[in-house]
Amino acid sequence: MSTTKTYEPSISRTEGRPLAGGEREYMIDVRTQDMEVNMGPQHPATHGVMRVLVRADGELITGAQPHLGYLHRCAEKIGESVEWLQYLPYTDRYDYLAAMNNNLGYSMAVEKLMGIEIPRRAMMLRTLCAELNRIGSHLIAIGTYGLDIGAFTPFLYMFREREWMMALFEKICGARLTYSYIRIGGVFNDAPPGWLSEVEAFCDTFEVKWREYYDLLIQNHIFVKRTADIGVITREMALDFGLTGPMLRGSAIDWDLRRDTPYELYDEICKDKAFEIPLASGEKGTLGDCWDRAWVRAMEMMESIKIVRWCLDKIEPGPVIGDIPKTLRIPPGEAYVGIENPRGELGHYVVSDGGKIAVRCRVRGPSFVNLAVLEELMPGALLADTIAIIGSTDIVVGETDR
Amino acid sequence: MNFQGIYDRIRSIQAPGVTGMDEPREPNPQDKKDKGRSGDPYVLVDPQRLPEFLECLRDDPSLKFELMADLTATDPSKEDGYLWINVQLLSLVRKHRLAVKCLLPKENAVMPSSVSVHRGAQWAERECSEMYGITFEGHPDPRNILLPEDWIGHPLRKDYEFPEEYHGISCK
Amino acid sequence: MGLFEKQFEDNVLTTNVDWLLNWCRLSSIWPMTFGLACCAIEMMAVGCAHHDIDRFGAGAFRASPRQADLMIVAGTVNFKMAERIKRLYDQMPSPKYAIAMGACATGGGPYYKYGYTVVKGVDRVVPVDVYIAGCPPRPEALLEGLMKLQEKIQASSVIRKPIHTV
Repeated sequence: MSTTKTYEPSISRTEGRPLAGGEREYMIDVRTQDMEVNMGPQHPATHGVMRVLVRADGELITGAQPHLGYLHRCAEKIGESVEWLQYLPYTDRYDYLAAMNNNLGYSMAVEKLMGIEIPRRAMMLRTLCAELNRIGSHLIAIGTYGLDIGAFTPFLYMFREREWMMALFEKICGARLTYSYIRIGGVFNDAPPGWLSEVEAFCDTFEVKWREYYDLLIQNHIFVKRTADIGVITREMALDFGLTGPMLRGSAIDWDLRRDTPYELYDEICKDKAFEIPLASGEKGTLGDCWDRAWVRAMEMMESIKIVRWCLDKIEPGPVIGDIPKTLRIPPGEAYVGIENPRGELGHYVVSDGGKIAVRCRVRGPSFVNLAVLEELMPGALLADTIAIIGSTDIVVGETDR
Repeated sequence: MNFQGIYDRIRSIQAPGVTGMDEPREPNPQDKKDKGRSGDPYVLVDPQRLPEFLECLRDDPSLKFELMADLTATDPSKEDGYLWINVQLLSLVRKHRLAVKCLLPKENAVMPSSVSVHRGAQWAERECSEMYGITFEGHPDPRNILLPEDWIGHPLRKDYEFPEEYHGISCK
Repeated sequence: MGLFEKQFEDNVLTTNVDWLLNWCRLSSIWPMTFGLACCAIEMMAVGCAHHDIDRFGAGAFRASPRQADLMIVAGTVNFKMAERIKRLYDQMPSPKYAIAMGACATGGGPYYKYGYTVVKGVDRVVPVDVYIAGCPPRPEALLEGLMKLQEKIQASSVIRKPIHTV
């Protein structure tokens, strides 16, 4: 579906798009009519149900407007309608690719209000599960990114490892996708016997397979050609839009909540220098392009494996959940906790008046904030790059719309 | 920098619009009704001067709050006459956070937009405006973001009543 | 084929038209790529090698509704999306089928009570053939739903009014 209207193009036709080495690709005197192309809401490459209204002048995009809300599920209203513990399953469902991280963020926010201590084994299991889930999330992020721009095989390979990861989670909590495993005050139950050694086996295999994915997809010549120099986010733009996570590190801004505002056990992990923060360097093109962001995600998977190994090394027997009543009454107050979700800073702002139900349960979804940069990135790109740019923001629509 | 340091600095540079602060405190053992307050400390700011305040904090060399992590609103209760505007600021260089709160009267919920200071506020303000009915003056694109254009009411207000039907589809 | 080679004379297979056409239809149900929410990830898992929906001839996910026979509504439907779902369903050529995957598409699921924008079941918008329980359903459950749909297609009649349906 397209409609033709005459618009003043927002960039001049002679400006063209920048190429590597500071040159520009000129498109002079191509007289075309502006066209509005609807991408979505049902489109295989929008990662869910997002609609982007692209205004194109021939092949050149002159404007793009994301339309959200096709999956608005009222998570925040529900947060202030149900009891504290009842809300936990809903946290699984906004970022459904990283449900463990959501559970962790919400639990930490409530625990901050309660001011309680978490048993050490529970913290180990939380960190371990959150990092495993980060791997699973990045596998989908990179896999579907490859799928979007034409590489079908890596997607199938990555789902093989993801299935294994989901089988591990199924053993520990009984669900494949929506876990509700990390509870307020600890975790739901202890790991079953032999589970930790299975995780170790997963790590051993994953390290070998990761190399394959890295060579097969990230370093693939076609992949590099499709993503390098496309959708460049500069440092100023990243800060202005409040981007976080791999989007920020893809522009070489050294920031990771796990290291810089440590929570849970990350303090100790950083002291042991168990992991590094991968930072993009503009290796294949301009700094901050789509390839850089994909690369950061790929490298982060390996860092997560290191953290998982650290946890496996240090974990000791002990209790996994404190004495938490079924009906929680949280002391009055307000707290904001931001944790490093695979997509960036996942913030939970909770307000309590001392009752059984929250007054406010705000979710700061990283995808929602990261997606806003799309309006800025698109103008000047070519129509075929739309997919590459949307894919590189790695959004989960459940979280942008909540 | 901890919260006290940040607050002292805000006071010493005379950041515009600051009206006070609030810190968590222990419950008073004498008074049974006083349950204390837990959680984060915050700075209270006049909503009409919020953009100036944010700009001042962004440009101050020792505070450097260059990233706005979140902007949202809160409706504390049906009876309360005020909405809260909650802003979470983050400094990547100094590695500290700050919670900012504004009290906006429900009767006339109009305040200036912060988009000129942090462009990341654009979508957050759109969400606030549709969910709470707050008007942000000077916002470049004040459409609904999550709800349909013809949606009636502001869902996150405490006095919101759920719709009966929408475009012929029953809601019950 | 080596086992059967030169073993038989030319043969005639007798069947009825209904059976043959239904068999053709149920063995090549092309679904539409229509992931809405969490269930879409499980739908992707079904499409991948471990669960392999291709075994049922339903692995050719089509991006366009005009090439699809089956709409798997995988996820929560809200009012903004409902109109689009109706339009997409209308664009599909007959015979067309719909599967409501998961609790949300079946009846609102966890969002039933407080979800002010959530449509309480996609069957208020388009007719649904098979409902699958779960939040999200396991991949095996989706495969079972597909088999139920195949049974339904097998039982339908092309030239007569259907006598019984599953």
